[in-house]
Amino acid sequence: MTESDHRASLARLVAASGDPLAASRDPLAAGGAGVSAGTGPASASSPPAARSGRRPVVGYVCSYVPEEIILAAGCHPLRLGARAGPTGPVDSCLQSFACSFARGLLDGLLSGQGRGLGGVVFAHTCDSLRAALESWKARKPAGSFTHFLNLPACVEGPGAAEYTASEFGRLAEALPAVEGARPVTAQALTEAAELMTVLRRELSRLDVLRSDRPDLLKGSQLLAIARGAATLDREEATDLVRGVADGLMGPATAAGPAARPRRPRILVSGGFLETEEPLRLVEEAGADVVGDDLCLAGRALAFSGAGHGAGRERSPAADVPALLSALSQAYLSRVPCPTKHPPSRRLESLLAEVKSRQVDGVIFLLQKFCDPHAFDYPAFREALEASGRPCLSLEIERGGLPAGQAGTRVEAFLERLRFVGPSADGGGGPP
Amino acid sequence: MRRTSKGDPSGATGPYPLLAADRRLASDRDLKGLILKHYLGAYKAKGLLGRKPVAWVTSGAPVEILLALDILPVYPENYGALIGSRKAAVAYCEEAERAGYSQDLCSYARTNIGSMLTGRGELGGRPLPRPDLLVAAKNICGVVVKWWEVTARHFGCPLFIVDTPFAADGLTPAQVAYVRGQLEELIVFASRAIHRPPPSREAFEGRLLGVLELTRQATALWQDIQVLRQASPTPASALDMFTNLFPIVTLRGSALCVEYYRKVRAELAERVGQGLGAVDGERFRLIWDNIAIWYDFDLVRYLHARGAAFVGETYTDAWGVYQYRPEDAADPLEAMARLYSQVLLNVGLEVRKERLFRMVRAQHAHGVVFHSCRSCKTYSLGQYELSRAVRNELGLPTLVIEADMTDSRAFSAGPTKTRLDAFLELLAAGSTPASPNLA
Repeated sequence: MTESDHRASLARLVAASGDPLAASRDPLAAGGAGVSAGTGPASASSPPAARSGRRPVVGYVCSYVPEEIILAAGCHPLRLGARAGPTGPVDSCLQSFACSFARGLLDGLLSGQGRGLGGVVFAHTCDSLRAALESWKARKPAGSFTHFLNLPACVEGPGAAEYTASEFGRLAEALPAVEGARPVTAQALTEAAELMTVLRRELSRLDVLRSDRPDLLKGSQLLAIARGAATLDREEATDLVRGVADGLMGPATAAGPAARPRRPRILVSGGFLETEEPLRLVEEAGADVVGDDLCLAGRALAFSGAGHGAGRERSPAADVPALLSALSQAYLSRVPCPTKHPPSRRLESLLAEVKSRQVDGVIFLLQKFCDPHAFDYPAFREALEASGRPCLSLEIERGGLPAGQAGTRVEAFLERLRFVGPSADGGGGPP
Repeated sequence: MRRTSKGDPSGATGPYPLLAADRRLASDRDLKGLILKHYLGAYKAKGLLGRKPVAWVTSGAPVEILLALDILPVYPENYGALIGSRKAAVAYCEEAERAGYSQDLCSYARTNIGSMLTGRGELGGRPLPRPDLLVAAKNICGVVVKWWEVTARHFGCPLFIVDTPFAADGLTPAQVAYVRGQLEELIVFASRAIHRPPPSREAFEGRLLGVLELTRQATALWQDIQVLRQASPTPASALDMFTNLFPIVTLRGSALCVEYYRKVRAELAERVGQGLGAVDGERFRLIWDNIAIWYDFDLVRYLHARGAAFVGETYTDAWGVYQYRPEDAADPLEAMARLYSQVLLNVGLEVRKERLFRMVRAQHAHGVVFHSCRSCKTYSLGQYELSRAVRNELGLPTLVIEADMTDSRAFSAGPTKTRLDAFLELLAAGSTPASPNLA
């Protein structure tokens, strides 16, 4: 693969991330959309895109919705985000103190942004999203497919895995009701699981690269790539991500350590981000975002082991229930979202990540009115600061930060990092 | 017993009428004693001679299991309400906020976290007695899971989450089995937490059935009380019910609770017999939706003074859900799993609407006041849909007021009263008490 090839792959992924709905409707058309990460013009000739065909698009709301099952049902999974811009119909449905992501998501659905969707899958996450689901059920177009994946809040404990598998089974049984979908078979599920395993593995290579060589791949770019991969046909996305990884790994291996001076190394923690703007703001202020604990990137990749569940069950005898059981184990064993109990595994993962990635400071991007993140924040901040990583919290609303004020605070934070000595474990330290 | 209203502290709408508008229940006196006894019991349990383990539980926790294990439950939410009613919550909330807890978080949680962090409280200056174990049920919200996690971190205390899947419009067998399995596990967990061997199944079930029977009796009495309020004039309004809620929440499963509600029911029946209303000159019959505004009961008195009585509250009605049947004795844990999964805040909007409509009709209500409570997302989000449904399908006026149950900073009395005035005008212009406009 040439450098221009991997740049084209990157541009296509990033472009798809900018307008997921358009990209999911017409994968080939998305390549020409605006490129926001400074990667050059996109190529409109990525042959793998043609593989997506015209499968029904199923929008989903939470990273605990298994894309594997949607794919196995012959549908195209599309991660839904909040609608940008001024609020619309949601103001007559949900009060302003509902989580801004839930409000923006419902606003998008009610505004008809998801008109091309064959269905929507919600999952149990938090109180605000549950309310968004209920409002959507009351107002959705008659006959449109909506499924609620009633997942547990406890990822450990008695019966959690069995119960999750039963809910995955209900989803598998429900999806064929989407127009154009097909029944979920063991073979389709196995293939889908293998595909997702490979895609996540390729994304994980980039995740490592943005930490090792942030001069080659920025954290903001990785987030855009992850969003693009959650938008495009997954086979195409896998090829594109692999192309980017292969293209960048060459220079990374050949050139050795980055020539440019070390910049403050930041890990960001938060929920779902509609845009990579908050990360770009940190980067433009002079830091590298070398790790994240975000819904779409870091946590979405944080499956334990490489198999990711159903992909491991390759025995010809494995039937759908066995595959769903393996899949449920895989999802429950991920680094959990703050809506899941217990929270200790996420904190342990964060502490390990800041150490292994030599992080100097952590920026919490707290979604306005998001209870789960806000409850975790004080204890997590305390633990991270005790490990020698100063923390900053910024409030985001519908993916954005108040530009001027946030920029000033980030600059002040980076200034502070420059005066902090190395942490006891030798991780963080002055650039 | 008559009580004169105080002047309007905001001064925005002038003084209240000098004549009494609401008539409180004589059983209120017993209630104060019950509250005191409950909390003193908790302090004694953890005192020098105390031997009884204490659990901090959520209001929707399957407390009968703990009672059957002789564990004393303490309710931080109730403690939050108590602090709120003393108009003291803001100082505790600010303590929590200083520690990094956002002002957007539930004010019950912030009040309790503030008390926990400072070691101060509103019962003789003391915080709640230290817990031996923590039990939170997700059936009322996801917030309690996070709040209890914070508490567990603070005390280094064992925590059990009862994970009740959302029962939008019913429960699947797998969901019931999931919750039932957790209740089995809770017995083992709680026994370990108090350093006792898990009880034998037979002995435990015997004790549990006894406790459940007391819950059933209290629930039946509570429902009788709500039925008595259908009378015109209604013998009890929201002020009585918000305070009378205490035993069904915190003493559920005890003989004291049953005994108390027998008295309340008798008093209400007597009032009905005498044609004595809670509010003088009852003109309008209203339903209240959501938690009380604990620091401003004057708002309810303001309505009372204008002839508007609350004849039902979804908040108080919600505690009538624990209706155990004789056949539940065969598998009490399954019955508990079903009932605790279908409490008001864990069902879908359609079910909530049905329950609200049923109440509006049964209580002969003329309108609904929705308290849009900033702290309580599970209760408040969805109110716009419910309000629309009441207006469009029942043809009744509704009002949504913005406030918070304990954090008075989120409430503005003056503008709210102006809106109440407009609502009363709407009621006066529309339906009459004799012919409520019911669909």
